[in-house]
Amino acid sequence: MAEPGIVFDRVWKKFRRGEVHDSLRDLIPAMARRMLGRAVPSADTLGRREFWALTDVSFEVKPGEALGIIGANGAGKSTVLKTLNGILRPTRGYCELRGRPGSLIEISAGFHHDLSGRQNVFLQGAIMGMKSRDIARKFDQIVEFSGIGDAIDTPVKRYSSGMNARLGFAIAAHLDPDVLIIDEVLAVGDLSFQDRAFGRIKELATSGIPVVLVSHQLERVSTLCTQALLLEKGRVAHRGTPEECIAAYVSSTRQGEVDEDAPVRITDLQVSTPLPLRSGERLRYRIRGVVSEGAGERYDPFLVRVRSARSGKVVFSTLGQNCGLTCPPPGEFEADVELQFNVGGGIYTIETGVNDTARKKDLVRGPFTHIQVASGTTFTGVVQMNPAMRVVQHHATSDTSATDDGADPAAHVYEAKVRHAGRA
Amino acid sequence: MTGLVSAVGVAPLADPLREGQEEHRGVGLPAAAADAAAPSPVRSTDVVRRSTEVKRSFFGDLAEIFRELWEFRDLVHQLTLRDIRVRYTQAVMGFAWAIFAPMLVVLSGLLIRYALAHASGRQVSMAAIGATALKAVPWSFFSGALNLATASLISNKSLITKLYFPREAIPLATVLAQTKDLGVAFAVLAIILPFLGLTVSINLLWVPLLVLLLLTYTLACAVFLSCANLFYRDVKYVVQLLLTFGIFLTPIFFEPQAYGPIGARLLMLNPLAPIIEGLRLAVIDGRTLLEPVFEVNRRGVSILVWSPWHLLYSAVWAVGGLLVGLRLFRRVTYVFAEYV
Repeated sequence: MAEPGIVFDRVWKKFRRGEVHDSLRDLIPAMARRMLGRAVPSADTLGRREFWALTDVSFEVKPGEALGIIGANGAGKSTVLKTLNGILRPTRGYCELRGRPGSLIEISAGFHHDLSGRQNVFLQGAIMGMKSRDIARKFDQIVEFSGIGDAIDTPVKRYSSGMNARLGFAIAAHLDPDVLIIDEVLAVGDLSFQDRAFGRIKELATSGIPVVLVSHQLERVSTLCTQALLLEKGRVAHRGTPEECIAAYVSSTRQGEVDEDAPVRITDLQVSTPLPLRSGERLRYRIRGVVSEGAGERYDPFLVRVRSARSGKVVFSTLGQNCGLTCPPPGEFEADVELQFNVGGGIYTIETGVNDTARKKDLVRGPFTHIQVASGTTFTGVVQMNPAMRVVQHHATSDTSATDDGADPAAHVYEAKVRHAGRA
Repeated sequence: MTGLVSAVGVAPLADPLREGQEEHRGVGLPAAAADAAAPSPVRSTDVVRRSTEVKRSFFGDLAEIFRELWEFRDLVHQLTLRDIRVRYTQAVMGFAWAIFAPMLVVLSGLLIRYALAHASGRQVSMAAIGATALKAVPWSFFSGALNLATASLISNKSLITKLYFPREAIPLATVLAQTKDLGVAFAVLAIILPFLGLTVSINLLWVPLLVLLLLTYTLACAVFLSCANLFYRDVKYVVQLLLTFGIFLTPIFFEPQAYGPIGARLLMLNPLAPIIEGLRLAVIDGRTLLEPVFEVNRRGVSILVWSPWHLLYSAVWAVGGLLVGLRLFRRVTYVFAEYV
């Protein structure tokens, strides 16, 4: 008996492009080669048309930990999950999954379109490793969770794709796993179902079992995970807290786009305020740039874009023209920018760039930096709203007989009035 | 990339907001302390799945396969049900399918027997009709099951590439789904055979054993062929051809003695032949399978048509083939998702 957990130790995985030999005609030459002891593919070298889908990927997930894996398409995320699940075998390295896995991957892959929803629940459940007895016991819950209702006895081919996904998720959500593996299933069904689904995932993920989550919804990764991994072309590009990885991921997609020939460009970015910043404080930074001859008024080099590493989303964006600045005359320039960070804690990316105001799109992207904002403990959320509250009326419970307005005597009537508060 | 964040001046990440949002997951705390409300915060488990190859002996591998299949027995059951249900949904003929294929075999058998009887100037006996009907049933099962099972891994492609479960369950369930038709056909036989020369004797007790052997041998072939077809897609066509002409290499239309002394011996080398011929001997002739049977043909030559060794021979093929097939299947199972 051991603690549930996941061990992924220096895993390499080789894939082949195109088709592998597929007909008997190819068997004989292949066997002949093997008999002659020649050209037997070894685990260490790449043959023609082969490539490494995973290169030396290691991680470990213990109970109470949730690992988020992020990265661009083709970075190897699904390969990691399939290897974890035992669908693929690593070319090199060691992979172990201790405990009954609950995989929220391909949640309706086992469905047969000719069978009814009811029959498919039992089929899909069995494929996921549930006992028919347990499925029968949880059947009503599953149907209720899915919101399928009477359609449960209709063949699945008559279902909408949303119903299909909801039923699949409902089955997976009623697994009782020791280890949880989740892949991109968070956005299933309509808004209310998504909330229910995410609630269930959160419930499972925070129940103290080891969790691996792969998602492009970066906000979900930072909400659910205790640690993260950024994969890039099969390699671990970054390892750390979810926000560090998201920041690294977001910046990696920004790299290599600096156009040296642009008429206007930003060359440097220097933060002059000491870090970390506290929520509500002002951040000051200086940018340096170059404007070529004949660049024209249409370019605005004072683009500011602030991105939250929690979600990877832009939380603030503005241009120099909104602050009364226009493109400086040809030559080098320096400018100071100040931003007030009335935001929740976390990592933020400051991006600079040049905007082509005539075409309303970015001409070039400039340097970027990450800053840390500490929110303190006074609020959670993404924006500091500077609340003000006061009690304007209070009826004590002890004085129940003497009510003057005829309302429920026991009621505590609070009214919170929010002053529009400027900063003190 | 490592150090990217710290390189631009971010302090070590103490993030009060995160912890505030998820008060029930204490970051870095042991799970037990993190969530006291959970029913069993720290579990222990004896289920371990390793993607990395584990080297085991022949019997170690088999033990693992049977252990896993037992763990997933509900899956085998559900897949079998699926295959049966899918076959009968929106099908006009319904259960008539179960006897349709055997009936065609019987009809062609009767035609051949009639033609030969006509040529030799003898009558077609009722027992011969009964024998053909009896033999048509296991043959239809065998060929029907193998045709479907050979392609079974490919037709369940999405399951194989997306989900984990013992892949042996797929050919297994495909064959098991065919046993329903086999059962229906045997039930029909039980009704008509008394009119066609059934010999009621203690030797009818051989039937369950022979059916078991038939099932085992079919499974052995199914496991091996489904796996081969996954790597070499033309296996399916070879199997179709072999099954089309295999009926002449199996004593379905005739008894072995019709093939002559050497022919009979060669014919019985087909592992399916003793199973099917044994059925006829036990059910139609009412003989025990523990004694050899000789038939004398018209030229006075004595032909060995049955020996207890034949039964053993088939059993070795069936059981041995299944065990070897399962191991082979398991050894290559980890590349299924890449080849399918």
